Amino acid sequence: MIILGLAVAGAIGAVLRYGVDHRVQRRSGSSFPFGILVVNVSGSLVLGVLVGSAAHHGVSGDWLTVAGTGLIGAYTTFSTFSFDTVALLERRQWAPAVANLTLSVVAGLAAAACGLALGALT
Amino acid sequence: MPVAPSAAPSERPALRVAAIAAGGALGTLARYGVSRALITPTLGFPWSTLVVNVAGSLLLGLIVTLVVERWSPTRFVRPFAAIGFCGGFTTFSTLMVELSQRGQHGRIAVAGLYLVVSLVAGLLAAFAGMALARVGGVAAGPPGAIPDPDDLGGIAPDRDGS
Repeated sequence: MIILGLAVAGAIGAVLRYGVDHRVQRRSGSSFPFGILVVNVSGSLVLGVLVGSAAHHGVSGDWLTVAGTGLIGAYTTFSTFSFDTVALLERRQWAPAVANLTLSVVAGLAAAACGLALGALT
Repeated sequence: MPVAPSAAPSERPALRVAAIAAGGALGTLARYGVSRALITPTLGFPWSTLVVNVAGSLLLGLIVTLVVERWSPTRFVRPFAAIGFCGGFTTFSTLMVELSQRGQHGRIAVAGLYLVVSLVAGLLAAFAGMALARVGGVAAGPPGAIPDPDDLGGIAPDRDGS
Protein backbone atom coordinates (compact mmCIF):
# COMPACT_ATOMS: atom_id res chain seq x y z
CA MET A 1 0.00 0.00 0.00
CA ILE A 2 2.81 2.39 0.83
CA ILE A 3 4.20 1.90 -2.69
CA LEU A 4 0.87 2.84 -4.26
CA GLY A 5 0.55 5.87 -1.98
CA LEU A 6 4.08 7.00 -2.82
CA ALA A 7 3.50 6.59 -6.56
CA VAL A 8 0.27 8.61 -6.52
CA ALA A 9 1.78 11.30 -4.25
CA GLY A 10 4.90 11.48 -6.44
CA ALA A 11 2.79 11.89 -9.57
CA ILE A 12 0.75 14.70 -7.99
CA GLY A 13 3.89 16.40 -6.62
CA ALA A 14 5.57 16.43 -10.04
CA VAL A 15 2.48 17.82 -11.80
CA LEU A 16 2.05 20.42 -9.04
CA ARG A 17 5.67 21.50 -9.50
CA TYR A 18 5.16 21.90 -13.22
CA GLY A 19 2.01 23.97 -12.66
CA VAL A 20 3.55 26.31 -10.07
CA ASP A 21 6.84 26.68 -11.97
CA HIS A 22 5.03 27.40 -15.22
CA ARG A 23 2.80 30.09 -13.69
CA VAL A 24 5.48 31.83 -11.64
CA GLN A 25 7.98 31.76 -14.50
CA ARG A 26 5.49 33.16 -16.97
CA ARG A 27 4.47 35.90 -14.57
CA SER A 28 8.08 36.87 -13.82
CA GLY A 29 8.86 37.35 -17.52
CA SER A 30 12.50 36.70 -16.63
CA SER A 31 15.11 34.08 -17.47
CA PHE A 32 16.00 33.85 -13.76
CA PRO A 33 14.56 30.57 -12.43
CA PHE A 34 12.02 32.16 -10.07
CA GLY A 35 9.56 29.31 -10.61
CA ILE A 36 11.78 26.59 -9.13
CA LEU A 37 12.91 28.95 -6.37
CA VAL A 38 9.29 29.42 -5.29
CA VAL A 39 8.64 25.65 -5.55
CA ASN A 40 11.72 24.72 -3.51
CA VAL A 41 11.24 27.31 -0.77
CA SER A 42 7.50 26.64 -0.37
CA GLY A 43 8.12 22.88 -0.34
CA SER A 44 10.84 23.25 2.31
CA LEU A 45 8.38 25.13 4.53
CA VAL A 46 5.66 22.50 4.13
CA LEU A 47 8.04 19.57 4.69
CA GLY A 48 9.35 21.33 7.82
CA VAL A 49 5.79 21.63 9.17
CA LEU A 50 5.06 17.95 8.39
CA VAL A 51 8.28 16.66 9.97
CA GLY A 52 8.05 19.00 12.98
CA SER A 53 4.44 18.11 13.58
CA ALA A 54 5.05 14.36 13.18
CA ALA A 55 7.96 14.49 15.65
CA HIS A 56 5.81 16.14 18.31
CA HIS A 57 2.57 14.28 17.82
CA GLY A 58 3.75 10.82 16.87
CA VAL A 59 2.03 10.87 13.48
CA SER A 60 2.11 7.50 11.72
CA GLY A 61 5.30 6.91 9.76
CA ASP A 62 3.39 5.79 6.67
CA TRP A 63 1.43 9.01 6.48
CA LEU A 64 4.61 11.06 6.78
CA THR A 65 6.29 8.93 4.10
CA VAL A 66 3.46 9.48 1.60
CA ALA A 67 2.98 13.22 2.28
CA GLY A 68 6.62 14.13 2.96
CA THR A 69 8.73 11.74 0.90
CA GLY A 70 6.09 11.29 -1.79
CA LEU A 71 4.25 14.54 -2.34
CA ILE A 72 6.70 17.20 -1.13
CA GLY A 73 9.79 15.21 -2.10
CA ALA A 74 8.57 15.07 -5.69
CA TYR A 75 7.21 18.63 -5.66
CA THR A 76 10.64 20.08 -4.87
CA THR A 77 13.63 19.32 -7.04
CA PHE A 78 17.38 19.51 -6.68
CA SER A 79 18.31 18.54 -10.23
CA THR A 80 16.63 21.53 -11.89
CA PHE A 81 18.21 23.83 -9.31
CA SER A 82 21.71 22.52 -10.09
CA PHE A 83 21.05 22.46 -13.84
CA ASP A 84 19.79 26.07 -13.86
CA THR A 85 22.77 27.25 -11.82
CA VAL A 86 25.27 25.55 -14.16
CA ALA A 87 23.40 26.88 -17.23
CA LEU A 88 23.70 30.43 -15.82
CA LEU A 89 27.42 29.90 -15.08
CA GLU A 90 27.95 28.56 -18.62
CA ARG A 91 26.52 31.80 -19.99
CA ARG A 92 28.79 33.84 -17.71
CA GLN A 93 25.77 35.20 -15.86
CA TRP A 94 27.74 35.13 -12.63
CA ALA A 95 25.48 37.31 -10.51
CA PRO A 96 22.24 35.44 -11.34
CA ALA A 97 24.04 32.10 -10.78
CA VAL A 98 25.32 33.13 -7.36
CA ALA A 99 21.94 34.70 -6.54
CA ASN A 100 20.09 31.48 -7.45
CA LEU A 101 22.45 29.39 -5.32
CA THR A 102 22.40 31.75 -2.33
CA LEU A 103 18.67 32.56 -2.40
CA SER A 104 17.69 28.91 -2.76
CA VAL A 105 19.85 27.79 0.16
CA VAL A 106 19.23 30.73 2.52
CA ALA A 107 15.48 30.98 1.89
CA GLY A 108 15.14 27.17 1.79
CA LEU A 109 16.89 26.79 5.16
CA ALA A 110 14.89 29.62 6.72
CA ALA A 111 11.66 28.08 5.41
CA ALA A 112 12.57 24.59 6.69
CA ALA A 113 13.52 25.97 10.14
CA CYS A 114 10.27 28.00 10.34
CA GLY A 115 8.32 24.94 9.24
CA LEU A 116 9.91 22.71 11.89
CA ALA A 117 9.16 25.30 14.59
CA LEU A 118 5.57 25.79 13.35
CA GLY A 119 5.00 22.06 13.18
CA ALA A 120 6.18 21.64 16.76
CA LEU A 121 3.75 24.37 17.90
CA THR A 122 0.61 23.04 16.28
CA MET B 1 6.57 37.40 -22.88
CA PRO B 2 4.37 36.20 -25.75
CA VAL B 3 4.23 32.49 -26.25
CA ALA B 4 5.90 31.37 -29.46
CA PRO B 5 3.33 30.64 -32.16
CA SER B 6 4.68 27.10 -32.55
CA ALA B 7 1.93 24.53 -32.14
CA ALA B 8 4.22 21.82 -30.78
CA PRO B 9 4.49 22.86 -27.10
CA SER B 10 0.79 22.95 -26.45
CA GLU B 11 0.03 19.87 -28.52
CA ARG B 12 -1.76 17.19 -26.49
CA PRO B 13 -1.25 18.84 -23.11
CA ALA B 14 -3.13 16.08 -21.28
CA LEU B 15 -0.69 13.45 -22.56
CA ARG B 16 2.25 15.58 -21.50
CA VAL B 17 0.80 16.00 -18.02
CA ALA B 18 0.30 12.22 -17.89
CA ALA B 19 3.97 11.79 -18.87
CA ILE B 20 5.02 14.14 -16.05
CA ALA B 21 2.85 12.22 -13.58
CA ALA B 22 4.23 8.82 -14.69
CA GLY B 23 7.82 10.07 -14.51
CA GLY B 24 7.17 11.68 -11.12
CA ALA B 25 5.73 8.43 -9.73
CA LEU B 26 8.70 6.39 -10.96
CA GLY B 27 11.24 8.95 -9.74
CA THR B 28 9.62 9.04 -6.30
CA LEU B 29 9.61 5.23 -6.03
CA ALA B 30 13.27 5.14 -7.11
CA ARG B 31 14.16 7.75 -4.45
CA TYR B 32 12.27 5.78 -1.82
CA GLY B 33 14.15 2.63 -2.91
CA VAL B 34 17.51 4.38 -2.44
CA SER B 35 16.40 5.67 0.99
CA ARG B 36 15.54 2.09 2.06
CA ALA B 37 18.88 0.79 0.79
CA LEU B 38 20.95 3.54 2.43
CA ILE B 39 19.30 4.13 5.80
CA THR B 40 20.43 7.42 7.37
CA PRO B 41 21.21 7.09 11.09
CA THR B 42 19.39 9.68 13.25
CA LEU B 43 21.14 13.02 12.66
CA GLY B 44 23.89 11.19 10.74
CA PHE B 45 25.14 12.00 7.26
CA PRO B 46 22.22 11.68 4.78
CA TRP B 47 23.94 9.63 2.09
CA SER B 48 20.72 8.60 0.38
CA THR B 49 19.57 12.18 -0.30
CA LEU B 50 23.06 13.08 -1.49
CA VAL B 51 23.17 10.09 -3.85
CA VAL B 52 19.76 10.80 -5.45
CA ASN B 53 20.47 14.52 -5.80
CA VAL B 54 23.88 14.06 -7.41
CA ALA B 55 22.78 11.18 -9.67
CA GLY B 56 19.61 13.05 -10.67
CA SER B 57 21.58 16.21 -11.50
CA LEU B 58 23.88 14.21 -13.79
CA LEU B 59 20.91 12.56 -15.50
CA LEU B 60 19.02 15.83 -15.94
CA GLY B 61 22.07 17.60 -17.42
CA LEU B 62 22.49 14.72 -19.84
CA ILE B 63 18.83 14.46 -20.87
CA VAL B 64 18.05 18.16 -21.28
CA THR B 65 21.25 18.78 -23.25
CA LEU B 66 20.57 15.79 -25.51
CA VAL B 67 16.99 16.91 -26.10
CA VAL B 68 17.85 20.55 -26.75
CA GLU B 69 21.14 20.23 -28.63
CA ARG B 70 21.50 16.75 -30.09
CA TRP B 71 18.21 15.05 -30.75
CA SER B 72 15.53 15.88 -33.24
CA PRO B 73 12.47 17.34 -31.52
CA THR B 74 10.79 14.93 -29.14
CA ARG B 75 7.45 15.35 -27.44
CA PHE B 76 7.54 13.17 -24.37
CA VAL B 77 11.19 12.72 -23.34
CA ARG B 78 11.36 16.03 -21.51
CA PRO B 79 8.05 15.81 -19.62
CA PHE B 80 8.59 12.15 -18.69
CA ALA B 81 12.34 11.87 -18.07
CA ALA B 82 13.35 15.44 -17.14
CA ILE B 83 10.37 17.05 -15.40
CA GLY B 84 8.82 13.83 -14.17
CA PHE B 85 11.56 11.35 -13.35
CA CYS B 86 14.56 13.58 -12.50
CA GLY B 87 12.33 16.11 -10.75
CA GLY B 88 10.61 13.41 -8.70
CA PHE B 89 13.83 11.49 -8.03
CA THR B 90 15.72 14.48 -6.61
CA THR B 91 14.49 16.58 -3.71
CA PHE B 92 15.37 19.99 -2.37
CA SER B 93 13.01 20.08 0.61
CA THR B 94 14.49 16.94 2.21
CA LEU B 95 17.98 18.44 1.93
CA MET B 96 16.80 21.66 3.62
CA VAL B 97 14.93 19.89 6.44
CA GLU B 98 17.84 17.49 7.07
CA LEU B 99 20.25 20.45 7.23
CA SER B 100 17.91 22.35 9.54
CA GLN B 101 17.49 19.40 11.93
CA ARG B 102 21.24 18.83 12.15
CA GLY B 103 21.84 22.52 12.74
CA GLN B 104 19.24 22.64 15.52
CA HIS B 105 20.80 19.66 17.27
CA GLY B 106 24.30 21.11 17.17
CA ARG B 107 25.57 18.79 14.43
CA ILE B 108 27.15 21.79 12.69
CA ALA B 109 30.05 19.91 11.14
CA VAL B 110 27.77 17.26 9.61
CA ALA B 111 25.39 19.97 8.33
CA GLY B 112 28.20 22.09 6.87
CA LEU B 113 29.81 19.13 5.14
CA TYR B 114 26.45 17.89 3.83
CA LEU B 115 25.57 21.32 2.40
CA VAL B 116 28.95 21.92 0.73
CA VAL B 117 29.22 18.39 -0.70
CA SER B 118 25.61 18.53 -2.00
CA LEU B 119 26.15 21.85 -3.78
CA VAL B 120 29.62 21.13 -5.19
CA ALA B 121 28.86 17.56 -6.26
CA GLY B 122 25.40 18.53 -7.58
CA LEU B 123 26.72 21.34 -9.77
CA LEU B 124 29.65 19.24 -10.99
CA ALA B 125 27.29 16.37 -11.80
CA ALA B 126 24.94 18.64 -13.80
CA PHE B 127 27.97 20.02 -15.65
CA ALA B 128 29.31 16.50 -16.30
CA GLY B 129 25.93 15.38 -17.66
CA MET B 130 25.83 18.34 -20.04
CA ALA B 131 29.43 17.68 -21.17
CA LEU B 132 28.68 13.99 -21.68
CA ALA B 133 25.73 14.85 -23.94
CA ARG B 134 28.02 16.99 -26.09
CA VAL B 135 30.75 14.35 -26.53
CA GLY B 136 31.33 13.73 -30.21
CA GLY B 137 29.11 16.62 -31.21
CA VAL B 138 30.04 19.53 -33.45
CA ALA B 139 31.65 22.43 -31.63
CA ALA B 140 28.85 24.37 -30.03
CA GLY B 141 28.39 28.03 -30.78
CA PRO B 142 27.71 30.50 -28.01
CA PRO B 143 25.03 29.06 -25.74
CA GLY B 144 21.54 30.26 -26.50
CA ALA B 145 18.74 30.98 -24.06
CA ILE B 146 18.79 28.82 -20.96
CA PRO B 147 16.64 25.75 -21.55
CA ASP B 148 14.33 25.48 -18.57
CA PRO B 149 14.28 21.77 -17.70
CA ASP B 150 10.83 22.21 -16.22
CA ASP B 151 9.49 23.94 -19.28
CA LEU B 152 7.59 22.19 -22.00
CA GLY B 153 8.44 24.98 -24.41
CA GLY B 154 6.87 28.32 -25.05
CA ILE B 155 8.01 30.22 -21.94
CA ALA B 156 11.63 30.93 -22.72
CA PRO B 157 12.50 31.51 -26.38
CA ASP B 158 14.53 28.31 -26.55
CA ARG B 159 15.10 26.14 -29.57
CA ASP B 160 11.83 24.33 -29.17
CA GLY B 161 10.02 27.45 -30.23
CA SER B 162 12.15 28.31 -33.23
